[in-house]
Amino acid sequence: MEQNPRPRTVLETLGEEIIRIVTPVSICMLSVVILVSILNGDPSSGGDLPVTTMATIAYSESSSDSTWDKLKGALLNSLVFVAVVTVVTFLLVLLFYLRCTKFLKYYMGFSAFLVLGFMGGEIALLLIQDFSFPVDCITFAILLFNFTVVGVLAVFMSKMAIFVTQAYLVVIGMLVAYWFTLLPEWTTWVLLVAMALYDLAAVLLPGGPLRLLVELAMSRDEDIPALVYEARPVINDSGPSGGVVRRRVWREGGDTDDNQGLSANTRSGLASDSTPGTHLSVGIGEHERNLADAEEGRVPGGDSELTTPLIQHINVRMNSSENAVPSENLALEGIGLGSSGAIKLGLGDFIFYSVLVGRAAMYDFMTVYACYLAIIAGLGVTLMLLAFYRKALPALPVSIMLGSQDMMNCCQLYDVLLLFWCFLSFSSRHVRQSNQHDYRVGISRWEAYNRVC
Amino acid sequence: MTVAAGIGYALLALGPSLSLFTAVISHKPFLILTLLSSTLVWLMSLIALSAVWRGFIPFKTAAWWPYALLILTSVASQEALRFFLWRLYKRMEELLDAFADRVSKPRLLITDKMQIALAGGMGHGVAHAVFFCISLLTPAFGPATYYVEKCSRIPFFLVSAMIALAFVTIHTFSMVIAFSGYSEGNRTDQYFAPVVHLAAGVLTLINLGSGGCIIGIPLLYGMAMLTLLHCGKLVWRRLTENRRQGNLY
Repeated sequence: MEQNPRPRTVLETLGEEIIRIVTPVSICMLSVVILVSILNGDPSSGGDLPVTTMATIAYSESSSDSTWDKLKGALLNSLVFVAVVTVVTFLLVLLFYLRCTKFLKYYMGFSAFLVLGFMGGEIALLLIQDFSFPVDCITFAILLFNFTVVGVLAVFMSKMAIFVTQAYLVVIGMLVAYWFTLLPEWTTWVLLVAMALYDLAAVLLPGGPLRLLVELAMSRDEDIPALVYEARPVINDSGPSGGVVRRRVWREGGDTDDNQGLSANTRSGLASDSTPGTHLSVGIGEHERNLADAEEGRVPGGDSELTTPLIQHINVRMNSSENAVPSENLALEGIGLGSSGAIKLGLGDFIFYSVLVGRAAMYDFMTVYACYLAIIAGLGVTLMLLAFYRKALPALPVSIMLGSQDMMNCCQLYDVLLLFWCFLSFSSRHVRQSNQHDYRVGISRWEAYNRVC
Repeated sequence: MTVAAGIGYALLALGPSLSLFTAVISHKPFLILTLLSSTLVWLMSLIALSAVWRGFIPFKTAAWWPYALLILTSVASQEALRFFLWRLYKRMEELLDAFADRVSKPRLLITDKMQIALAGGMGHGVAHAVFFCISLLTPAFGPATYYVEKCSRIPFFLVSAMIALAFVTIHTFSMVIAFSGYSEGNRTDQYFAPVVHLAAGVLTLINLGSGGCIIGIPLLYGMAMLTLLHCGKLVWRRLTENRRQGNLY
């Protein structure tokens, strides 16, 4: 006996963007936890392959060392690792400066190939070994090859179905995170802290490589190739315009407002190049004279709030004289302006959180649960603060830059705090893993990881 | 216990919550966020309480009154937290209504408010189930199972899963009752949640006696049924009142 359809309240769509980021992060964390508990849970599983990786090149931890030795060794390890990452990032800046964007793109595809093919292949082999799954070499090789190639294409081309791209990004994050959990315990913790601090330094210091990269990209108005997870944009299907889908339109030219917007985006999105730190880029919609909107007869202006209640859509500003030129110089719509202001989260963050939770899975389920909730809470709060900050200061371009900068720093500080909290909760348990596995990983793979993050 | 049995116990405790989640909560992102934050808050409260009591446990006497004291203090602090959450919810409701006015959408309907309360309660229930039941399951995977002397007919994990299910039900729906009571000013509803929580907690003391779980657990399920019935009556009453007042929902 309903006279009218149920009125759609704000509860229906509020918070949708946050959920669209929280879900893949949760899936990644869950997969890493499951992998860790399957593959590392059985103490007699696998082999003890003594391996040196980039992260253990300085010191190989063994359970018989004293605490102080372990700490020193872990510090040494992370120092070496951070040094390698710094060098590689500077190399990246140099290449970007020399406009070798194609080379960077290809290298990204290559690193995705390495991660999916080799790391994924090794984990698949471990699983097959564990479950005695009957499959022959040729079938396995064909399947692995197909899987890897589709993954590389998904990362490479922006025309792939968005679900496939998202799925492959989550898989890449999961694989890299799992490999990180194989590091010795102390090295993992100190490495995470070191990467968080390095990230802060690289973005804040005037000579920091990430800052240079962002400024370069800003001045050239280009996008930086990187692996970034982009959530599906929220489509407004209610309201006066009813069912208008925003097209994927590229930004064209720009004036100061949009430049600042781009800088905020690239700066925030770009630091996702390195491991930790929450880097979110959200579109800003200030002065909307969206060509696409005008074509479809939408009402500009306050509509942006209606479409994404929590986070504003980007309203692409176009020069009325030029048409939209889709710029294909990007592997994955990268950083900068995506289509309709969907949230982007760097893959480094996926890996960071999953490593934390994966390490927790080696101890106890309650630690996993508590860490998971803390991470999700922090992520949600960061996203909401970002949205609120955007809304609170829409008109001041400088403060937006500063604001996003502050927000990014807050995100990175949050990462460091989270690390400390997790470390405290772990060290209070003192449950030691009986086997420490060190696996042999080629140096090239670690370079691939550097690019991945 | 085996992995299959472990999954079975976990589903026993959390299965109804999972179906409730899929049916009601997963469609509205805001409710998922409410569920997650509520789980976090209640889990932190449980951790804080266990940290405080860690110094006194295990009790040296075999008497039952230290346990009663433990339950009393824990229930009291949790109910205080529930009232505090109500205050927080009121503020959030104002924010949401202001936002709805700004984007010219209708304000929060009564079903919306009850759904938010349901998500909050489910967070409470899930936190309880994970803390008291699931955390016992994961370290115990292996070929054998565990029986307790005082309840020797069924495995220990099955007992804890059943008790957890009862408590999940109680927590989920008493949040709806409590929030409704606070918003309407209905004294019965306001006192319902603390009383039922305390009664349920005290009823578990019966399990301390030998063979006590045969009596204790059915009584606990009686409390859960009571909560369910009361919540159902309350929701029915409010919805029909609402409809009579002219609103359609």
